[in-house]
Amino acid sequence: MANKRNAAIFAALIVAAVAGILVWRPTVIIYGLQAAGLYASIAIPMGLILGIVHIVNLAHGEFMMVAAYLTYMVCTALGIDPFVAMIPVALVTALVGFIVYKLTIRQALKAPELNQLILTFGLAISLTQLANLLFTSQTRKMSFGYVSASLSIGELSFGVYNFVFVAIAVLMVIGLRLFLTRTTAGKAALAVGQNPKGAAIVGIDVDKTYGLVFALATGMVGMMGAIFITRSSIFPAVGSPFTMKSFCLIAMAGIGNIPGILGASVLLGISENFLKAFRETRGWADIVFFVLIITVILGRSIKGKKA
Amino acid sequence: MSKLVTTGLTKAFSGLVAVNDVSFTMEEGEILGIIGPNGAGKTTFIHLVSGILMPSSGRVEFKGKDITYMPAHERSRLGIARTYQLIHPLENLKVIENVMIGAVFSRGKSLKEARRSAEAICAELGLERLERDTAQLSILEIKKMEIARALANEPEVLFLDEVMAGLNSDETLQLIATVKRIALERKMAVGVVEHVMGVIRELTQRVIVLEAGELIAEGPYETVSKNPRVIEAYLGGAA
Amino acid sequence: MKLKSSYIVVAVLSVIAIAFPAFLGAYPLNVARSIMTYMALAISWDMLLRSGQISFGIAGLFGLGSYASALAVLRGGMDPMLSIVFAAAFAGVMAYALGFAILRLRSMYFSITTLALMEIFRIVMHNLHDFSGGPEGVVLPSVIFKGASPALYWLCLAGLFLTIGVSWFFEKSKMHLALTAIRNDETSARSSGVNIFNYLLIAFVITSVLQGMMGAIQVQSYGFTTPDTAFDANFTLLPLAMALLGGIHSTIGPMAGAVLLGVASEWLKLKIPYGHLVVYGIIIILVILFMPQGLFGLARKARRERSKAGASHE
Repeated sequence: MANKRNAAIFAALIVAAVAGILVWRPTVIIYGLQAAGLYASIAIPMGLILGIVHIVNLAHGEFMMVAAYLTYMVCTALGIDPFVAMIPVALVTALVGFIVYKLTIRQALKAPELNQLILTFGLAISLTQLANLLFTSQTRKMSFGYVSASLSIGELSFGVYNFVFVAIAVLMVIGLRLFLTRTTAGKAALAVGQNPKGAAIVGIDVDKTYGLVFALATGMVGMMGAIFITRSSIFPAVGSPFTMKSFCLIAMAGIGNIPGILGASVLLGISENFLKAFRETRGWADIVFFVLIITVILGRSIKGKKA
Repeated sequence: MSKLVTTGLTKAFSGLVAVNDVSFTMEEGEILGIIGPNGAGKTTFIHLVSGILMPSSGRVEFKGKDITYMPAHERSRLGIARTYQLIHPLENLKVIENVMIGAVFSRGKSLKEARRSAEAICAELGLERLERDTAQLSILEIKKMEIARALANEPEVLFLDEVMAGLNSDETLQLIATVKRIALERKMAVGVVEHVMGVIRELTQRVIVLEAGELIAEGPYETVSKNPRVIEAYLGGAA
Repeated sequence: MKLKSSYIVVAVLSVIAIAFPAFLGAYPLNVARSIMTYMALAISWDMLLRSGQISFGIAGLFGLGSYASALAVLRGGMDPMLSIVFAAAFAGVMAYALGFAILRLRSMYFSITTLALMEIFRIVMHNLHDFSGGPEGVVLPSVIFKGASPALYWLCLAGLFLTIGVSWFFEKSKMHLALTAIRNDETSARSSGVNIFNYLLIAFVITSVLQGMMGAIQVQSYGFTTPDTAFDANFTLLPLAMALLGGIHSTIGPMAGAVLLGVASEWLKLKIPYGHLVVYGIIIILVILFMPQGLFGLARKARRERSKAGASHE
């Protein structure tokens, strides 16, 4: 009862704060939402892996980076648009993800968590350094006219292209929901995520499900890599901050709560853009999410202790 | 003065009451049986007394001192030791180190003194070749090691949570005799959880019976085993 | 008898290590210093790992030590040698304060938090333009010992010896029992009187002091630092790979790993200027998959099996 009231007050405060900022600095909300879309659409596949395979994949952002380089090569060689290239790139990354799962992750599933963390950490480094080896640390960029599309409302003018990430994030949440509740493979995945032993007893192939989920998630993040290159320049280390951010968002939402990632992303995106709106605080925008992640983790551990 | 007293001890896990209003005492030199059907709250009760879990309400006293919310490591220094139903060997330590640890941290002994007293305890229990890894031990040896580790704390109150489980009848008899002898020599109060009623009958002077977290009967085994409520609890549990 | 001979080996190796400057030039001494720094970090990382806690924030404490030492000299006019002690103490105090919060965390939550803390330190140094020099970092008026390579070498060696000594003490004292018990089973440890939080805090503070000290030695030896060099992820990554390769939960394992990987990477750096670190990534993966106990773990296992075979022959 008291909890519900607190939550209501909290929600009201957030709405009030958002409304206040909207009037005062509308671009903070607009760009905050756009950033949130990007964060969420990269975090959701990681959340899927964490929720079902129960592995923290520290190479998550690196898979995106690899996909972005792949897109870059395909697009410059064939002269096609990343939105076209995204489908074959996603398929290839899914395949890579599946192979990586079979060769490495699967072997460490029963090992202590230490081994899993360090293993995916090693994967992350290998992928980053491989990119370094093949492409050097020089940044690469592709430019497209549609990215600079903008909209003017009164005196306010802002870029609209990045709303595409918001759309993708929402579609991902809906798509995953449908997949997990309506399809046989999805229902099996959900069962495995909740209770792998129980699922195995009722005849679900746990290993196959893990492989499928891992491939699906890497495919999704591969698709994000293809779209990512339309708005940002890429370099070998471009993916690693997204690993951290994704983990932060999942920890905030709670493991297994995929729609919650959307909410957490909005909070992160708006806070960051709030600091970016002022010259004096611009440099501190990066710190927001590190502070958020620590606050969330500590908060959860204290709450867990009380319960 | 009683060694250990609980009054109205209660533990609820998000609505589910695992231990409900249990009041009991343990006296010096007595071996007390704690029995009850599966899920009756016996292990939770020991967790509460040894400080692994904190109670929702109620009180725990050790020799008149309130220890209700004292952390587990402080209780073991005070003189409350226990073994676990699911064995917990420290697999990266040798057998002797597994036993020493209580002497080092609960009794504050130096490594040398702790080793000596651990060796003495192991000899008493008939546990040999102490430089082995725990992975090389038989079930009986692991159980002995767990008891030895608890004894290294030099406890005044000791809880043995299903130490006989998994042993054959010869081994069980042997261990019963050992526990009895040690309890007598050290004037400990010993609380024993067992499912095999033969063990309880052999070992204990008094039993308490838990059912669904509540204490439903208390007294010598012979009396309690004829108590209709107890019989019903067991039959209900079996059905 | 066996003990005595191992003491002799240690003494001989120490003398050789101390005498290196007599027959090595500036470049090899430089390489040796870098390897020794990584070795000290690898050992200190392993010391905390013995309790089961995986830190991804070695670079954080290392960088903090670098900055504390550099700023103490630059802004406080402190003597460079004294500033190393100051930096070590500063890292210890920070670890003590942070430890109260983060040592309640376990497994991945602890690891990620240490990584996040490192990033926070880096961003703070990036943004405190007036105090820390911002992204350009700080340049000291002079290098310690006027940059004489033998002296710099001995300074680094002293830091390494201290680290090895503390790690050896951890192995031989009741810290070994406490940390191993915590790693294996916290419940059992508590029931045997181990104050888990206290021992974690001691281990975290001591390893942080060592990491901060190595950072301070590094900055005084090079005379400058920037946020991106002081908090370079390599200071987390390389020690981790070295400890894993050599064998975790020991002093000798990280040392062996550091020598092997340190020498190999110097060689690879010349062959492949970009991306030679890919070797580290691959080594981490292979070690975790095929010999999670590292080289020394393999050796131990082989020896045990041989002795077992010998015993059954009797």
